[in-house]
Amino acid sequence: MTEGKEKVYRQLESNKLLQQIMFRYMLEGHAASEEHNLAWVTSGFPVEIPVAMGVGVSYPEQYGAVVGSQKVGPTVCGFAEDVGYSRELCSYARASIGAALKPEESPLEGLPRPQALLACNNICGTVLRWYDAISEITGAPVYLLDTPPLGDSQPEHHKEYVKAGVHSLIEFLGSTFNTELEEDKLHQTAGRSSTAIRLWTESLEACKSRPSPLNCADRFLAMAPVVSLRGTDYIIDFYEALLDEVKTRVKDGVGAIREERIRLLWDNIPPWFNIFRFFNGLAKKGVVFPADTYTHAWSGAIEGTDLIDSVASIYSNVYLNKGLDAKIDKMCQLIRDYDLDGFIMFSVRSCKRYSLGQLVSKEIVSERTGVPGVVIEGDMVDSRLFNESQIETRVEALLEMLL
Amino acid sequence: MTFNTGVRSGEGLTLSNEGVMEKSTTAMRKATEGDDLLGYIYPHLPMELFLAHGLTPTLLRAAPGVTSGFESSLQTFACSYVRNLFSLRSDEMLEHLMGVVFPSNTCDSLQNLADVWSFRFPEDRVLRLTYPASRGGHPEAAIEYFAEELRHLSKTIETVFSRPFVAEQFDRAVELIIAFRQASQTLYASRVISPSVISYNEMTGLIREFLTIPSPSTVRPVQDAANKVRMAEGVSEQTEHLEAVKQALTSGNLSGIDKHIPLDDDGPRLLIAGGMIEPQSISALFDGASGVTDSTIILDLLSFGFKSVFAKPVAPQDDIFVGFAESILSAPGEPTQEGVRERIEFLCTLIDKLSIDGVIICEQSFCDPDQFEAPSIEKAVSAMGVRSVRLPIDPELSDRARLEGRIQSFVESLED
Repeated sequence: MTEGKEKVYRQLESNKLLQQIMFRYMLEGHAASEEHNLAWVTSGFPVEIPVAMGVGVSYPEQYGAVVGSQKVGPTVCGFAEDVGYSRELCSYARASIGAALKPEESPLEGLPRPQALLACNNICGTVLRWYDAISEITGAPVYLLDTPPLGDSQPEHHKEYVKAGVHSLIEFLGSTFNTELEEDKLHQTAGRSSTAIRLWTESLEACKSRPSPLNCADRFLAMAPVVSLRGTDYIIDFYEALLDEVKTRVKDGVGAIREERIRLLWDNIPPWFNIFRFFNGLAKKGVVFPADTYTHAWSGAIEGTDLIDSVASIYSNVYLNKGLDAKIDKMCQLIRDYDLDGFIMFSVRSCKRYSLGQLVSKEIVSERTGVPGVVIEGDMVDSRLFNESQIETRVEALLEMLL
Repeated sequence: MTFNTGVRSGEGLTLSNEGVMEKSTTAMRKATEGDDLLGYIYPHLPMELFLAHGLTPTLLRAAPGVTSGFESSLQTFACSYVRNLFSLRSDEMLEHLMGVVFPSNTCDSLQNLADVWSFRFPEDRVLRLTYPASRGGHPEAAIEYFAEELRHLSKTIETVFSRPFVAEQFDRAVELIIAFRQASQTLYASRVISPSVISYNEMTGLIREFLTIPSPSTVRPVQDAANKVRMAEGVSEQTEHLEAVKQALTSGNLSGIDKHIPLDDDGPRLLIAGGMIEPQSISALFDGASGVTDSTIILDLLSFGFKSVFAKPVAPQDDIFVGFAESILSAPGEPTQEGVRERIEFLCTLIDKLSIDGVIICEQSFCDPDQFEAPSIEKAVSAMGVRSVRLPIDPELSDRARLEGRIQSFVESLED
């Protein structure tokens, strides 16, 4: 690995492979659309089902991140606002609605046109309404996999309800795309998905080391395949390469940033339009983020003899489908396991499911772990809702407590 | 032709929104002397279940004038309704309640509100009822799931409040709710035919009082009003049409409405679309708009109005929880659920069948369901050649003068 000592932030070599994979993902999406074989899916959707049935998939949330990182969020979201969608609505939704309305004026000429829209509300309730709006524009039908939020555990009737939804999904895909689900293919797809998730989880857990081999921005970029290409074989190569590189860094005592002084937890989606500036700016001050609640959300493996049962369990028990108790427990666990000094909670105006409750959980997490935290407010795509100087002031106040 | 049933404010004037709230709060507090009140937030609640357990379900509403109390617990981008409810609790204005039932899986703000509430007020009894959002793909599974949720809620009520389910109380509750629905449906249907037969403010006031304290004493005024409007000029001679409209609105099948029903031709005919907006807030805004009366409102599709009134009664069957589930899930659809296309189709058919001239689309600030559905409604209505206006509204009516001006301009534009 070549690295300039003067750089505060160390690039990952495996990022080159990542770029190739994501380029392939984009091409495959366009090809599937041209063949009338493309579904848009939410990030928490059991994508192993459509993938096993030979349906191509594209992810509007991932596209929202692209819009954000290209710093055109206000423009593309503005296309949706022009036809009446409130600026108070989720900016991922506004970005994809805007790009669907004006693809020629949007990054990558928008997402390829879908023939179906697959939403799972385990990440938020917004997805249903958002996909309904996309359906109006594209004419593609919506399938909602309803996974009502859970408390401590999943009651049997909840699992049965979600299983009924998965069976109904298979019928929907079968009739929409003239395909069927073969059990062997589902096993193969689930196996590949589980392998990728296992490799990804190992890379995340390697960040318990000091110095941390990955920073927040590394993980937010490297998570893209596990979000958007679960179940495919070629992402396994990437996660193997990433894990090799991470292990090498750990073995050599090489951190993601040049001088690690403070280890923090990040909570929520990042500000995509400012991701490098924000995290690298903090890296200059010796701040690294060995863990975050977002990239740790893709952790469940589909396995066992009854894969539909496993799907119903794994996709109901995702982080954002649990109550505030579970979120607080997870944050406390990450702070302890990764030996963190404090935490930053990004209160994302777009994401009510993730963000409402942070003011309470900040107090409780601090009380339970004894480490300080701060809440900063902004948005992940819409830079108009991001007050940089105010955020800097708040983060500085936290760092003063830690330095 | 205006018909005064005697339940309006003393001078026969429309109560202000603040007045309505004060009246409801007073009613709730009086009721605590004899009733055990359990608050609820989402309108589609099986009132019969709570009454069967010897508890009185009381619909909680946001209150005008309560603007602070939430700041240390909720961000400003929580919806205005949620912020207001939390502030009410922070300001100790809900002390008379034994507990609160929160909805789950309806919207993210309400979902997280229950969590925050539990942490901030650990002494409160917080109950949850989780609704299926899916209505189309696998309806039997949704009913089974929801029936189990209701069964669990019933057991929780019994455990937490030591109030077992009593069959006789259930039977009385079923009768009470049927009586309320039949009478209030008559009022709604009558106003479709002759909107000045009872003011919108009066009608929604009666419904509000019942939903605040469902009891024989609050259902009686609704029944009295329904009996009187049936006999009133403009309605009495159209009994068949009245029943046809009522049946159509109850079933959701509007084919039975005859487009040639003789309708009052006194000013534009408006339809109010929206979600969890207090109907009497709308009435108060109409009252404040110069030269506009609420007799222009033919029908609302609001959660605390039409959608509360036109739910089907619990049908007797072996498993009462299945009955509850079927009743609630067959209520007119909310934007919190699947089915925007069906909702828009229903709205468009109403516009056509009821000769609607204009639509007011209400949307609460930071309300995902309202704000996502509003552009779809606007587009569909426009395609029919009908005008619409969007009304950004919060429970505090903080922008009241502007909202009144907007309504006034809209009505004037329809009269041109």
